[in-house]
Amino acid sequence: MSKFPEYKHTKSHEYFDRAIKVIPSGIYGHLGPAEGLWVPVSKWPFYSEKAKGTYFWDVDGNKYIDYMCAYGPNVLGYNDPDVDAAAMKQMKLGNCTTSPSKVMVECAENLVNTVASADWAFFAKNGSDVTTLAVMTARAHTHKKKMFFLKGYYHGDFQWGQKIDYPGILPEEVANNVVVPWFDLQALEDAYNACDGDVAGLIAQPYDHGNFYDNRCASKEYWQAVRKFCDDHGMVLIFDDVRTGFRLDIAGSDHYYGIKADLICFCKALANGYNMSALCGGEHMKATVSGVTYTGSYWMSAIPFAASIACIDKMKKLDTPKMFREKGTKLTEGFKAAAKEHGFDLVVSGEPALFYLRIANDDSLMLHQEWISECVSRGLFLASHHNHFMNAAVTDEDIKKSIEIAEDAFSVVEKNHPELKG
Amino acid sequence: MTDTKTLAYSNMYAVLGTLENLCELDNKAKEILSGLKKPVSVCFDVKHGPSATIKFTKSGCRMEDGVKDCDIYIPLSSCEKFNGVIDGTVTPVPLKGLTKIGFLLKTFTALTDRLSEVMQPSEEALKDRAFFELSTKLTFYTISVALSQIGNQDKIGQASASYMLDGDIAFCIKDGPAATIRVKDHHLVTIKEYPKKPRAIMQFDSLDLAYDLFNGKVNSLECIGKGTVEIRGMLSMVDNMNRILDRVALYLA
Repeated sequence: MSKFPEYKHTKSHEYFDRAIKVIPSGIYGHLGPAEGLWVPVSKWPFYSEKAKGTYFWDVDGNKYIDYMCAYGPNVLGYNDPDVDAAAMKQMKLGNCTTSPSKVMVECAENLVNTVASADWAFFAKNGSDVTTLAVMTARAHTHKKKMFFLKGYYHGDFQWGQKIDYPGILPEEVANNVVVPWFDLQALEDAYNACDGDVAGLIAQPYDHGNFYDNRCASKEYWQAVRKFCDDHGMVLIFDDVRTGFRLDIAGSDHYYGIKADLICFCKALANGYNMSALCGGEHMKATVSGVTYTGSYWMSAIPFAASIACIDKMKKLDTPKMFREKGTKLTEGFKAAAKEHGFDLVVSGEPALFYLRIANDDSLMLHQEWISECVSRGLFLASHHNHFMNAAVTDEDIKKSIEIAEDAFSVVEKNHPELKG
Repeated sequence: MTDTKTLAYSNMYAVLGTLENLCELDNKAKEILSGLKKPVSVCFDVKHGPSATIKFTKSGCRMEDGVKDCDIYIPLSSCEKFNGVIDGTVTPVPLKGLTKIGFLLKTFTALTDRLSEVMQPSEEALKDRAFFELSTKLTFYTISVALSQIGNQDKIGQASASYMLDGDIAFCIKDGPAATIRVKDHHLVTIKEYPKKPRAIMQFDSLDLAYDLFNGKVNSLECIGKGTVEIRGMLSMVDNMNRILDRVALYLA
């Protein structure tokens, strides 16, 4: 008998039925069912009503402990009072104005004082905005064409970052993308030679946190060797810290690995949900990025800048990377123990702040999807083939309850599969 | 953009290959074959393209890959010529089996005409439920085979296949036809039955929904959200299969 009753999602489905009439696919992109994370869809909420701390409530009133954190932006807890107060204060002063607010300067100074490799900050709205700017800047700086990517990459959904078989993508738009395997310096050298040196740079996430497979952490030695390779070959090293930024290291994930990237991209955890992104870089890249034609209508709106200053200051005060490592480890150790109790082999990979889960008892992920859905439908929001995110509002009590729900969900899956006992 | 060679492979295995299912499921096709006194095999051999032999008996037909021992041998000098045979602009000339020309002119032509009738139905014909079901099932088989051919031959299809892990995908209609899309080293093979141990599943809720999807009358992403298209398992395989499915319409249009 399950200890946690299953949720119902009647209103969610009603909203979805309304949505598909007026919104393509109801919820497009990574927050929606089309990405395939909701298996089966009947167990998942579609729309939220409100959020607070590490919780959100769906439109049916069901409450979830949320380890997806809006896919990263929720780093301090939803509706963090300090960040919201700073944002509200700025809102009264002005937001989207003809001359940008002075808070933009303060925000850039704050980033430069925080991120070890940053001598400047260029602001935009989404991760894709700044990864695109980074690639343009690398090409402008080197006057070279090809870009290196590491296998399993994701750097946003602009054309250059998609793949040749994606709808709406022309082969020419991705013709200069060269994909090399992770952790293979010889492959990097071979690819460089195959391009006759016409390589502007390498864009990479700090470690291999792709989907559908166990995430692979990098080492300082690896990144130091890649840094040297880029230096030796005149390539720009771009760290895409959109997902990992401020969760591994407040000073940037390049700092975490003991190097300085030439350019580093931030978004998700930058302002605790207020919409902004930033490209930071070294002094040697500043003149080049200044010359790139690139801007947007809302890129200098002031509220997110004020929120970002408050967010970064609070993350520093709390030492969130240390907190996330400790809490992420405690949580996932609890999940593993609960799995073992019911005969499941739960593999935890990646950094504890962005842990990735996989039940290894079958290679199809079907058991894993079943367990995840039983967790979600009991109030523990996890994802079936994506890394998770820790946030600072998670308490020890939340972790305890999360493990209890996880254990309960394991018991349901165990009961559904007597054949596994054999 | 489509390419002639991929179209030839699709025409051979997906379109002509559906004769197997037509002869199994359709009473009119069975009636056409009932007059067959002896088994007859027909081989289409396309230069720089696909080759297959279809063996007809009273009880049905089976397609085998490659040039086999056959009664009627039809060489085609190019993929373009073979595609012309399928769209009716080129008349095939057998090199061997002139004595069996009657089979080609009567039985084979009657079967391919019936296949066209079922695969390109009029709105009026579809009002008959049995015909609708037959047409949708055959379309399903054609699509499921074309999917593998496009994944193997088409440049962009190959890119999708290159991201696919080894294993079997169950591609099926609930309480209806099923196929296995078997992936091994990024090469795809379609087997017209449900896999024993699928690594991923894509299932349409009903024949009606499958018909609407095949004909672009409903949005597949909405269906995933509504749960009428069920996807499970190693979804990266389904995701990449979907990208190939997008191209199937280009080739089978």
